[in-house]
Amino acid sequence: MASGTDIPQTDSLPPPITERGIVGWVYANLFNSWYNTVLTFIFAAILVLTLWFGLGWIILESDWRVIATLGGNLIIGQYNIEKACPGQDCFWRPQVSLLLVSALLGMAWAISGDRVAKRIAIGVAVVSVAFAFLPYSLERMGLDVRLLLVANLPAVAAGWALARYTPLGSVRWIVILGVLAFLVTLVLLRGLPGVPGLQPVSVIYWGGLMLNLLLAVTGIALSLPIGIALALGRRSHLPVVKLLCVVFIEVFRGVPLITLLFMSQVLVPLAFPEDFPTNSLFRAGVVITLFSSAYMAENIRGGLQALHPGQAEAARALGLPGWQTTMLISMPQAIRNVIPAIVGQFISLFKDTTLVYIIGMLDVLEFGRAFIQGNVAEYLDGTPEFLLFIALVFWVFCYTMSYVSRRVEEHLGVGQR
Amino acid sequence: MATSEATADALNGTEDIIICRDVHKWYGNFHALRGVTTSVRKGEVVVVLGPSGSGKSTFIRTINRLEEHQRGDIIVDGIELSNDVRNIDAIRRDVGMVFQSFNLFPHLTVMNNITLAPMKVRKLPASQAEEIAEELLERVGIAEQATKYPGQLSGGQQQRVAIARALAMQPNIMLFDEPTSALDPEMIKEVLDVMRELAGSGMTMIVVSHEIGFAREVADRVMMFDYGKIIEEGTTEQFFDNPKEDRTKLFLSQILA
Repeated sequence: MASGTDIPQTDSLPPPITERGIVGWVYANLFNSWYNTVLTFIFAAILVLTLWFGLGWIILESDWRVIATLGGNLIIGQYNIEKACPGQDCFWRPQVSLLLVSALLGMAWAISGDRVAKRIAIGVAVVSVAFAFLPYSLERMGLDVRLLLVANLPAVAAGWALARYTPLGSVRWIVILGVLAFLVTLVLLRGLPGVPGLQPVSVIYWGGLMLNLLLAVTGIALSLPIGIALALGRRSHLPVVKLLCVVFIEVFRGVPLITLLFMSQVLVPLAFPEDFPTNSLFRAGVVITLFSSAYMAENIRGGLQALHPGQAEAARALGLPGWQTTMLISMPQAIRNVIPAIVGQFISLFKDTTLVYIIGMLDVLEFGRAFIQGNVAEYLDGTPEFLLFIALVFWVFCYTMSYVSRRVEEHLGVGQR
Repeated sequence: MATSEATADALNGTEDIIICRDVHKWYGNFHALRGVTTSVRKGEVVVVLGPSGSGKSTFIRTINRLEEHQRGDIIVDGIELSNDVRNIDAIRRDVGMVFQSFNLFPHLTVMNNITLAPMKVRKLPASQAEEIAEELLERVGIAEQATKYPGQLSGGQQQRVAIARALAMQPNIMLFDEPTSALDPEMIKEVLDVMRELAGSGMTMIVVSHEIGFAREVADRVMMFDYGKIIEEGTTEQFFDNPKEDRTKLFLSQILA
């Protein structure tokens, strides 16, 4: 019953210098053979040249006026233009929804044992507050708008306190409040007829990064459960269920997303009565979600296939009914095994939201592109700067997802080693 | 070979807790069980021997319906095994099983491995399930490992957790499917010790195992499987000291060599 064996350390010597420290690392990784030495020099040269010209361009030549001019509209698109929101400024509505996000992040920080939630919460708050004090903001934003940005800091703190000092500090409550916050966001953005200050804003004016995020959050939150259901359906012993799931998965995986998006705007309206309460954004959201679900289903099925059959057998031998065996034993292990694939799908989905430009929506990329096209004389030269900026924005979000997933994997990997 | 008092008492009852009548099982075209008829009394310890592919694992797996038999009757603790899901669930609650590859749930701690089924199936409150689990971990000698994950334990410790997990459902019958075959030699004894203690407590056990020493010491009866049938069965002394079938003699000479 020994829990560990003690190996006598008295005879062991420290490793040679080539195995230790910086010298050891450089030698082992960069110069350990003649061809690695050559490769090291080639890549060093490429790195130096890239930095030289890249930094040179950024410092000396680049002109970021296009970003400054677009400013907050990169985030909300045309949402606050006069036509969308006649007679008043609607900027506060997406801002309130950002405050809700900050509060939720604060809550996640309070209950999470990991520093990831803390970093993201602080990051969002700091960026928001910094945004309020940019020269651009001081010049162009009203005091109310800037105050609402600064309020993200207390929002994070309030969320943190809420989770720490009230019974709401649990994963279950954060999920419930997250769903509520999402619904509140939709109502806020869409507006309520007859309520003062909440006049309806047509979805054709929703745009910018807000649109990408709305579609991505919807897709991510729904495609996981739908994908789980489809994966289980595909493994079902009931022939009809199995067939339906296989057909769904193969159809949605076999058709390009762009085609599906077109069909959602052109074909689907034909199939419903004219006054059917739907809109283009809703249909785009449904298509992106279903498309992603089909891939998700196959990811999860892969995880289920990889499980040792003894796991389900052991659960059944203990008397656990089939659905509990699936939900408590098979599914948690299957999902854990395919976290990289699932998060890859999330990242892919987020980037794919830029494709809604094809059905005339002004997401962050298309909004800026359209603006440049409309002001060619002044801003066409700013295209590289604009594209770099968009790339950076997407990279920040995608890298955050990737980072979170790696931390989650590390946590769930406890005991697996 | 002396059986413990508890076992002896139970044997006096001579109540059959498992009854198999002409059980057949096919995998596709392969006839895996070809008419198995036997019974096990309450408190009896039966060791099942046989070459690989002889149907011995399939046989014990039909007893808790991990494998479905296609012909014949199996009656466990008064419940007939049929397609009735309620019967299957009732029998699985009553029959614990230990596998060759342990099959602990790697994403749950040792404690949660043990308390899961009592809480979800028997609907025990967490505190009570944990109390039972602590007692059982004490009994199998690894109380200090409760918060670890299975991957952090040795094979012998994992198998003892698996035994505790099965016992937590308070079964009347325990099935062991080659429980020590996947273990390093120095860990076999710690698992057999637990099984020995369990047999002494009067548990009805069917053990598929080639541990002849264990069988001689603990078993009341030994069965020999070949080609999907029981070709010989008898009391432990009779089986080992005076086997009748040539096939049995050959097999014993091979595994004792």
